[in-house]
Amino acid sequence: MEVYILSKTAMQLVNLKKTIGSKPIIKGLDFEIRAGEVFGFLGPNGAGKTTTIRMMVGLIDITEGDVLIEGKSIKRDFKGAIQHVGAIVENPEMYPFLSGWKNLKQYARMVEGVSEDRIKEVVSLVGLQKAIHEKAGRYSLGMRQRLGIAQALLHGPSILILDEPTNGLDPSGIREIRKYIRNLAEKENVAVIVSSHLLTEIELMCDRIGVIKNGELIAIEEVRSVENKEALKEVYIEVEPLETARAYLDNHLSNGVGVGNKELSMSVKREEIPQILKNLIEQGINIYGVRVLQATLEDKFFDLIGENSIE
Amino acid sequence: MSNLLNLIWNEQIKLYAKKATWVMFAALLIVAIGGGIITKFFGTESDFKEYGDDWQAELQAENAQLTAEMEEEEFAGFMNEMTIAENIYHIENDIKPQPYDGWEYVLENSFLTSVISLFTIIVAAGIISSEFKWGTIKLLLIRPISRTKILLSKYLSVLIFAFTLLVFLLASSWLVGAVLFGLNGLNPMVVQDLMPGYVQNDVIGEIVKSYGFSLVTLVMMATFAFMISAIFRSSGMAIGLAIFLMMAGNAIVAFLSQYAWSKYILFANTNLAQYTNGMEPVIPGMSMTFSIIVLLVYFVIFIAASWAAFTKRDVAGN
Ligand SMILES: Nc1ncnc2c1ncn2[C@@H]1O[C@H](COP(=O)(O)OP(=O)(O)OP(=O)(O)O)[C@@H](O)[C@H]1O
Ligand SMILES: [Mg+2]
Repeated sequence: MEVYILSKTAMQLVNLKKTIGSKPIIKGLDFEIRAGEVFGFLGPNGAGKTTTIRMMVGLIDITEGDVLIEGKSIKRDFKGAIQHVGAIVENPEMYPFLSGWKNLKQYARMVEGVSEDRIKEVVSLVGLQKAIHEKAGRYSLGMRQRLGIAQALLHGPSILILDEPTNGLDPSGIREIRKYIRNLAEKENVAVIVSSHLLTEIELMCDRIGVIKNGELIAIEEVRSVENKEALKEVYIEVEPLETARAYLDNHLSNGVGVGNKELSMSVKREEIPQILKNLIEQGINIYGVRVLQATLEDKFFDLIGENSIE
Repeated sequence: MSNLLNLIWNEQIKLYAKKATWVMFAALLIVAIGGGIITKFFGTESDFKEYGDDWQAELQAENAQLTAEMEEEEFAGFMNEMTIAENIYHIENDIKPQPYDGWEYVLENSFLTSVISLFTIIVAAGIISSEFKWGTIKLLLIRPISRTKILLSKYLSVLIFAFTLLVFLLASSWLVGAVLFGLNGLNPMVVQDLMPGYVQNDVIGEIVKSYGFSLVTLVMMATFAFMISAIFRSSGMAIGLAIFLMMAGNAIVAFLSQYAWSKYILFANTNLAQYTNGMEPVIPGMSMTFSIIVLLVYFVIFIAASWAAFTKRDVAGN
């Protein structure tokens, strides 16, 4: 974890606010994203993720505060700041009548020094080689998502902003994206910001997660530090005979056991698990499977977010 | 600079990747060919007539016959009168009539610049609003390029498109004309019936003037459509308004011409040809300089409004 503390700040939000009409949409965000880290931007629908991202890339005016990208203000030095950024905002929209390749060429022409080879490299990175010369209008949502990421990576940005990148991807697509987002962060020291309203989709790729609700940041968590020895875990054990096991555990566990179809469920600390299993075996009970529910983060965020009330 | 050229290149690629653009070129070509064929096979015979050395006598004989016709048949009147007047002009000024040729066809086709205006308006109306419609505006505006430069590249692309159409129209009319009617030399003289009467000029000069003057309306209306597109981000509205105003412009001026301020209306000033060949301006007291200043003021307003709308406003939602 110390690594992150040492690494430099890639992007910093300073008391960032947005008011549309008289309605405050973003109410003062203060946080930073460091080089080489994957930052999850989590919040329910309408929380203000896209609005924040639009301010980060200068698509909408900042009402108050600022966004500093590699130390440069997006408000005062747009070109200096934005040249470090690659982004997808909301859906990955492309020119439907141009091929994927020609779409990428459009963006390649807008910056200095993106060679044909670089475009090819990015295309193969997102696994779009086969379809790259087809019209983008015929792409599936997942393919467009990939093309969107390719477009964002073209000029080798040091900050990558992806608004709901897992939207429309199948599980294997999500796994792939996760893999190369981790890769970009770890190997190329890129700071990646991924927004999502689903924790489960970004949990595995993020180092830190910031939770936004109603335009306010309500928590920032290091994902790996959530692993807490004292925390109780939901453990499911498939046993036979069920009744003997239940009776035995009922007497030995303070929190009691729940009975499922073929499983018993219990809330115990991680370090207690081996002993419980040993005891069950000594009682002559057959064990067919053990599951530990990794729901701690999710529960935590659910508690934080609570009811999803859209203001 | 290379930056701007790349942006313009991008715009041209997007433009020509669309079928609608090619349909516009095809439409112009079809009209150029069709118009040529109609003129060739249904045109007035006397236009194509080749006169001999004794052309004065031939013209006089023609006039005598036409006069006789008019006495018998009253409807023949107007057309015959025109031909007679033209013949007299030729005789009095000692200008031998030339048969209709490709150059004259090009000159006549200058009315097709209004079709080019129409196409340019459609393109100008779409060039900004389409990016919003496709959602690609978000990808366009997050590059290290100022919005002003992107707007400029789009505006210049519209003008380049108009210019390309114009060159295409000139070239196809000239080719069709040359093939169907032949050419009376490299830059022959033509006699035209203009407001104050018949005049003779060299044809290329006339072509430049006639197409050139029509560019004023073209540029003004394309710029207007561009502005509406930048402000309302909707091409339908931009096309509708621009075409309506282009069509109704003269009627509006005529309707309001009783008021002194009507000379400040854009459409009272778009026809700069009104100051040439000794013609009277639509509203008394106007001059070429006056119109050019009025046009420039409108132009600056259109561009400034486009710029303000495009560079200052939030790009959010669709
Ligand atoms: N142009 C606008 N005018 C008024 N309100 C707006 C505008 N744009 C966004 N909002 C409001 O701002 C809030 C945040 O919207 P935003 O799109 O940022 O949410 P989000 O977190 O990206 O949600 P989602 O998960 O659905 O993408 C919403 O309540 C929305 O209604
Ligand atoms: Mg969103």
